[in-house]
Amino acid sequence: MQLKDRIAQGLESGWKVTDGATLTENRTLEADVVVIGTGAGGGTTAEILAKSGLSVILVEEGRLYYQKDFKMDELSAYASLYQEGMSRVTKDGAIAILQGRCVGGSTTVNWTSSFRTPDATLNYWAERFGLDALAPDAMAPWFDGREQRHNMEPWAVKPNVNNDILRQGCDQLGYTWQVIPRNVKGCWNLGYCGVGCPTNAKQGALLTTVPGALDNDAHLIHGLRADKLVMNQDRIDHLQASAMAADGITPSGVTVTLKARHFVAAASAIGTPGLLLRSGIPDPHNRIGKRSFIHPVNACVAEMPEKVEPFYGAPQSIYSDHFNFSGGVDGPVGYKLEVPPLHPAMSSGVIPGHGDTQINTMARLPWMNSVIALLRDGFHPDSPGGTIGLRDDGSPYLDYPVTDYLWDGLRRAFYTMAEIQFAAGAKRVRLMHLDSDWYTSWTDAKAAIDQLPMELHRVRLFTAHQMGGCGMGANPEESVVNGFGEHHHVSNLSVHDASIFPTSIGANPQLSVYALSARNSTRLANRLKA
Amino acid sequence: MNDQPEVRSTSSDFANLDRRSFLKTGLGGAIFLGTVSATAGLSGCSSTPAGRVSAVGTRMDASYEFRFLTSDDIQLFEALLPAIIGPGLPEQPQARRMAIAGTIERIDAGIHNFGPANQKELRRLFDLLNFGLTRVTIARVWSSWPKVTTEEADAFLERWRTSGIGLFNNGYIALTKISNVAFYGYEDFWHLSGYPGPPKWAVDALPQFQNA
Repeated sequence: MQLKDRIAQGLESGWKVTDGATLTENRTLEADVVVIGTGAGGGTTAEILAKSGLSVILVEEGRLYYQKDFKMDELSAYASLYQEGMSRVTKDGAIAILQGRCVGGSTTVNWTSSFRTPDATLNYWAERFGLDALAPDAMAPWFDGREQRHNMEPWAVKPNVNNDILRQGCDQLGYTWQVIPRNVKGCWNLGYCGVGCPTNAKQGALLTTVPGALDNDAHLIHGLRADKLVMNQDRIDHLQASAMAADGITPSGVTVTLKARHFVAAASAIGTPGLLLRSGIPDPHNRIGKRSFIHPVNACVAEMPEKVEPFYGAPQSIYSDHFNFSGGVDGPVGYKLEVPPLHPAMSSGVIPGHGDTQINTMARLPWMNSVIALLRDGFHPDSPGGTIGLRDDGSPYLDYPVTDYLWDGLRRAFYTMAEIQFAAGAKRVRLMHLDSDWYTSWTDAKAAIDQLPMELHRVRLFTAHQMGGCGMGANPEESVVNGFGEHHHVSNLSVHDASIFPTSIGANPQLSVYALSARNSTRLANRLKA
Repeated sequence: MNDQPEVRSTSSDFANLDRRSFLKTGLGGAIFLGTVSATAGLSGCSSTPAGRVSAVGTRMDASYEFRFLTSDDIQLFEALLPAIIGPGLPEQPQARRMAIAGTIERIDAGIHNFGPANQKELRRLFDLLNFGLTRVTIARVWSSWPKVTTEEADAFLERWRTSGIGLFNNGYIALTKISNVAFYGYEDFWHLSGYPGPPKWAVDALPQFQNA
């Protein structure tokens, strides 16, 4: 039982936490380090720096929500905990972007899957981007450390039926599968990770590194948007930030100036490139915002003969990497197979349809399973990724073209997912595609997939993993930061989030972010204290 | 399609013209929609949020203050929801009115949280659908929304769902997604998807559900 609330206790004990909405006049604050973002990267950074004795200010655009707010309700959670009230999409509207916007960032709303960066990915980075120092052996201690910090272990409880269907289908077809490590402690196996863990079991940034930083005297200001890093000659002088009103959406007009010796951007792979672009950070080779990756996701749903209750139980516990690296690290695009939880709002928004068709589909929700494929983008010349740009109002957008190389992978993933669902006993299967019917046999589904147009909007696409845009590399002509997340041109700027990945990861990225941030923050702490 | 074929044939030039303008590029489409927004504003389409809609003579709960949807948008959704939700709406007239009104309020509340960028996109879409000229030429809906039957609304949705033009598919997804989420995601209608809600034993055991 995890009923003791770490945040409520901390606030009571006098943590320095400021709600931007309560600020009534402009102010200037100063610290050794300003960390922008409180997710996997920012939380880790703040804790390590604060523990080393440095003074730290943590800036978060979203608001502080914790156990008292986590009531297992989709509508209120999507409105308050996700970027753009869960309506974020790519520039052309074709890919839905699931991303957290709250203290803890996406770790507050993720489904707890905790994978190390695959060896194949790290080796590819070494070879292609000169990142030899990140080889698997060198990274292993950092993964070990973060696995302990966040209590990551393969899920020891029986998977829920939704996940077990993926296991059964893989078994039937001879495809490999494994149990997913999860970052939980005393998990009640309820199934509401995506709307804020109601039991304080999830060991995301919200309950680990952010409290760790606050215990060590860090100052958290939430409801504060980082507008611009302001340079003075070749260094960043201060961060200009805008307080948000209590609705979390409208700037109140109050501004905060944050001065520091060093600045760490950890505002996500959309937010960080956006901040750097807005700030006019030196970028002689025009690399900021380039090579943005998303693990493009497509999905199938199946109606099973027995009840699945896909809204209950640990949302992700089984995965298959059978098709992830099978074509070689840089061959035809590989994909990881997982299962998503299905609650009514999410399902009715993801399954395209209306009227009789929609309600008949929704009525079968308790019998529904879904499988998703996460494409490993960025490892091939025909998968150069997307671009982060700025709208007129300065807010960032992601422009992500889907190349033929990716469409090929999406079509193959449709075959695999439908085949697995039928092998596990599905009565009928439907692809998340505007033209898809329900298919009652693998033969029919296969014939349909042969013909279905692989086109934007018609194929329903999603991403929950935003990566790249400030890629690391040894060569400043093709990267933004070095292998320690240090900016190539601005000496007091580091980037500690998923935006430094030079490709996608090929697995849910939270542990990759935690581990790299821990490594790079440890170095940064030593540097700043020297 | 069950809309009037003779009317459709005479409008084919308009439709083709608009089709071409949409097909150029996504940007062209966006600019075109921007123009519609400006035109709609000038020609008297209401462009301010409806605020508190008087309970007298309407189906809305006057305690809810609309922050994004205009009175035209509300009429649009009153016409579309019977087609989008279909048999999920109660049959009893008063319950049906309440279900539609509540869903539109939740759509408004949801859009408020979308923030400025997506609000701008939706404003363009709604203006396009509300402005008479574009409602007829682009959506090929001949009557104003309060006079549109459920069959006509369904035919419109089907046209945009099956269209070969990505922008229309995108419009279809936008309209149905915000409606479906606001309807099926709401506690009163969880039973339609067989969802019993959060497990009662957990609700009973967790402090955030206990009355303070």
